Amino acid sequence: MIWEVFRQEENGEYHTHCGNVHAPDREMATQFAAIQHGRRKPTNSLWVVPKEEIGEIDSDDVEFGGTTDKGYRWTMTYNLQTDQAEEVVESESEQEQADKQRGEA
Amino acid sequence: MDIEEVTERAGPREFSPADDLPEEYRKAATRMIEFHANSEIMGAYLERPFIRQAPSIDRKLAFSAKVQDEIGHGQLLYRAAETLGVKTREEMLDDLANGDGKFLNCFHYPMTEYVETPMVAFFVDGAAMRRQATLRRTSWEPYAHAMDKVCFEEGFHVKHGEDILRTLMNGSRKEQQLTQEAFEEWWPRIIQFFGPTDDKSTHHDFAASVGLKQKSNDELRQAFLDQYVPKARKYGLEIPDYPRIHKNDEGRWVVEEDDLDWEEFFTIAKNEYEPGLGQINGRKHAQEAVQWVRDTIEADNVPAGGQPPQAAD
Repeated sequence: MIWEVFRQEENGEYHTHCGNVHAPDREMATQFAAIQHGRRKPTNSLWVVPKEEIGEIDSDDVEFGGTTDKGYRWTMTYNLQTDQAEEVVESESEQEQADKQRGEA
Repeated sequence: MDIEEVTERAGPREFSPADDLPEEYRKAATRMIEFHANSEIMGAYLERPFIRQAPSIDRKLAFSAKVQDEIGHGQLLYRAAETLGVKTREEMLDDLANGDGKFLNCFHYPMTEYVETPMVAFFVDGAAMRRQATLRRTSWEPYAHAMDKVCFEEGFHVKHGEDILRTLMNGSRKEQQLTQEAFEEWWPRIIQFFGPTDDKSTHHDFAASVGLKQKSNDELRQAFLDQYVPKARKYGLEIPDYPRIHKNDEGRWVVEEDDLDWEEFFTIAKNEYEPGLGQINGRKHAQEAVQWVRDTIEADNVPAGGQPPQAAD
C-alpha cells in the first residue's frame, strides 16, 4: 500500500507533499515517513495519506486558471504612482511572483 | 489544554486542529472568523450591482473578478471556522440568512451610486487589509492560512479602488463634487470600522491574550488614519469637520468619539438597523432564487457528454 507524505517544517506552516512510502498500515506508514522524510530536513509534523484516497484532476481534464492574461485582476495593472500601505506592497510582490510563473506550467 | 496553557503558548499560527483547545478559545475564534466570513459575503453582495453599473468594460471585469474573490474569501473563512467544531457551515450560513449572523458595520449601508464605490473599494478595503495583514499572525493556524490567500488577492482590490477614486477626482467638477459628498456620508462609518476605542471593546482582552487578535482597535485605527488620510487629501478630498479628528503632539490621531453615532453603530451590531435589514434580506432572496442550482448539482443526475469543467480563473 502506498502512502503519500506531506511534511511541515515549522509549526504554523503548510504541509507540502514531499514523497511517498510503501507500508502495510497507517502506523507503519507514519514510522517509515518519519525515517525517510523527517530525518534530514527540519520537520515539525508529517501527514500520511493513502494514495487511493487522493483525488486528482489535471490539465488534460480541465482548463486551469492562471494561464490567460487577465490584467484587470492584477495589482500591477493599477499604476498609481503613490505610496502604498506595506500590506498592499507585499500583496503586489506576491502577485508579481505568481504572474512570472504564469505560462511556465 | 486549559486557558492558562493556551495563553502561555499563544503565538502566531500556534494552534491547529490537532490541538485540544478549550471551549472558550474555540468559541472566541468562531465568533471572530464567522464575523469575518459573513462580512466577505455581505461585501460581495454590496458590490455586485456594479458589475453592471460600472461605466467601462475594464471596470466591469474588475468588479466581477473582485466579487468572485470576496465570495471565495467567505468560503475559506467558513472552512477555518467550522474546523473549530463550535458551529457548522450550514448553521453559519443559515444564521446569516435569518438575520442572526453578525458582520461589518459598513456593509449594513446600501450603496447605490458609482461614486460611492471607492468608499468601500478603497477606504473600507484598505482598512480591512490593514487588519487582515496582522491576522496572518493569528494563533489559529487555519485562519492565518486563509489570510495568506486573502492578502495575496486583496492588493488588487485596494489598488482598483484607489484607481476609481483617482479617476473620479480627476473627472468633471460634478464628479468631484458627488465623490466628495459620498465621502462625507461614508467617512464616519469608515472611522467606526475599527469599533469603539479599546476601553469600550468587549471582546478584545481575551482574543488578544490567546493570540487570536494581533492588534487592538486603537492601533489599527491609528495605522489606517496614518496611511489613508494623506491619500484622501492627495486626491483632493476634504476631510469632513465632523467627526473631529486631529493629530496630537506625539503624532497620534485623536478621534472625538462623541462626534460619532454609537447608537446607530450598536443598533447595526444587533442587526436591527433598518437599511441593514434590506442588505440581509437582499442576500437571503438572492440565495433562495438560485436554490435550483444547488438542487441540480446535488441531484447528481447530470447528463453524460456535457462540456468539460472549467476552473474559475
